[in-house]
Amino acid sequence: MGQEKIEIDYDRVDVARIMDQIKERIAAEAGAEPRSSGSEAAPIPELDFTAGQGRMRRVLLKLMSPFRPLVKLLILPVDEEHRRTVLILDHTNRRLDRLIAEVERDRRVTIERLDRLREYVKLLHHLCHNLVIEMSKLKIEEEALKTKTRIMEKDFEFLGKREKALEKELLK
Amino acid sequence: MKIAFVVQRYGLEINGGAELHCRWVAEHMKKHAEVEVLTTRAADYISWKNHYTRDVEAINGIRVRRFPVSRTRNPERFGRLQDWLLRHEHREADELRWLDEEGPMAPGLIQFLKDSEKAYDYFFFFSYRYYHSYWGVKAVPRRSILVPTAERDPVVGLRIFQDLFRTPRAIIYNSVEERKMINDVSRNEHVPGDVVGVGTEVPGRYSGEAFRRKHSLPGPYILYLGRIDENKGCHKLFEYFVRFKRESGSEVKLVLAGSTVMQIPSHPDIVYLGFLGDEEKFDALDGAEILVMPSFYESLSMVTLEAWALGRPVLANALCDVLKGQCLRANGGLYYETYPEFRETLSLLLSSPELRRGLGDNGRRYFQANYAWDVIENKYLALLDRLEKEKGA
Repeated sequence: MGQEKIEIDYDRVDVARIMDQIKERIAAEAGAEPRSSGSEAAPIPELDFTAGQGRMRRVLLKLMSPFRPLVKLLILPVDEEHRRTVLILDHTNRRLDRLIAEVERDRRVTIERLDRLREYVKLLHHLCHNLVIEMSKLKIEEEALKTKTRIMEKDFEFLGKREKALEKELLK
Repeated sequence: MKIAFVVQRYGLEINGGAELHCRWVAEHMKKHAEVEVLTTRAADYISWKNHYTRDVEAINGIRVRRFPVSRTRNPERFGRLQDWLLRHEHREADELRWLDEEGPMAPGLIQFLKDSEKAYDYFFFFSYRYYHSYWGVKAVPRRSILVPTAERDPVVGLRIFQDLFRTPRAIIYNSVEERKMINDVSRNEHVPGDVVGVGTEVPGRYSGEAFRRKHSLPGPYILYLGRIDENKGCHKLFEYFVRFKRESGSEVKLVLAGSTVMQIPSHPDIVYLGFLGDEEKFDALDGAEILVMPSFYESLSMVTLEAWALGRPVLANALCDVLKGQCLRANGGLYYETYPEFRETLSLLLSSPELRRGLGDNGRRYFQANYAWDVIENKYLALLDRLEKEKGA
């Protein structure tokens, strides 16, 4: 496979280092695409347009011999074109197989990431919601405290006046 | 000192994470203080139906007071309400209605807390999201210590819980990530707290060989322990494992143990053993090459700690920040986010016994340093000591 060996110090095993190496190896593998996609494509049979029954074939070839130049002229380009088309189709099939494998792999990775993101978004949503509630409550509390302070200020003022009035009465 | 542990369910047969966590801590703390448990009569966490009949009983030397659940849960109605709540803007009253629907609604327990506040020095509330914790912490805020056991679950962002996280006298977190998440959603940094977690009871004897013989598992296997559920990431585990088998031709098997709420794929190398008892669970861990933890949401993962206690490496889902953080802190396991990472990490672990041994040893050391029972007890005692000093000051 040509994979790099994971280096481990068995006397002092370090999980973080091992995991870093594993992640690097996986990333390198993913980067080394295309892999063995050729083996996934269907094999193309060799085409032999001259194959046929032994004696019958020879008789037919003899009979046809005067027309051979004409037949060659008409058939050969078709054969060549057919061969090339098959090759192009084969190549296209291999590419398609590889692309499908890539799309499938990406799809799986994306679904996993989306699942995680969905969970994070859900948590964030709750967090935001709860923050808003908390802020609203604090605002209400602040208003109540302000009102309380105003009342206390008035009480204090009143008590001051009362104190002065009492002092006056006492000093009379 | 008299302390009470307040939890939604309590009993020897209850294996749930927070409930078992509570029981183990209570049983260890009885050496240091007078311990009581205040709980409901429910045994089933779906319906909260009253199951236990006695008001007071002793379990492993601890007095347990049980209070009746006044309303059972209607799972469909609760599910609809939760769905609506998480998708729409709403008021605090809607969240309180959701809390009532979730239950276990035990007003007798809350009244008892109010009436007996002075009889106890501290109340430890386990699981932040249930009725008993929300109303209980509000009933006795200055004596309450919350053990939230919170996962990265959308309900953690509900408004009512922000108040809850700011109210108790102290908070005991399960992990650094849990503390950060709770700090982020509630800005409760001023509440004293510590990251403690929980220990585990490792039996004196366990044998992976016996487990392999019993279940005819001669070759290597990776183990998943816990509820087999999509919420625990099992669907991804099955998908990745089947693909790994197809591509690698490895002889490894996936062994599953626990209750199931989803369809397990029919595959010759996926072996489902049903629910295992505690002893057999440790046998299974001992025989496994790796413990796999595919869960997306975990508050601590006791089973991961159990694997490390036995020196077994872990392969965890990196999308769960707690599991990834634990693997990095312990240097006791690898993690994956995608299939290529799953393939590479699993191949590496299976092909290298030295790596498995190294990770397992690191995990064991991390467990001993942070989750051995004396460490856990000392952290609880240090927090109580700190609160006592603050009270006296």
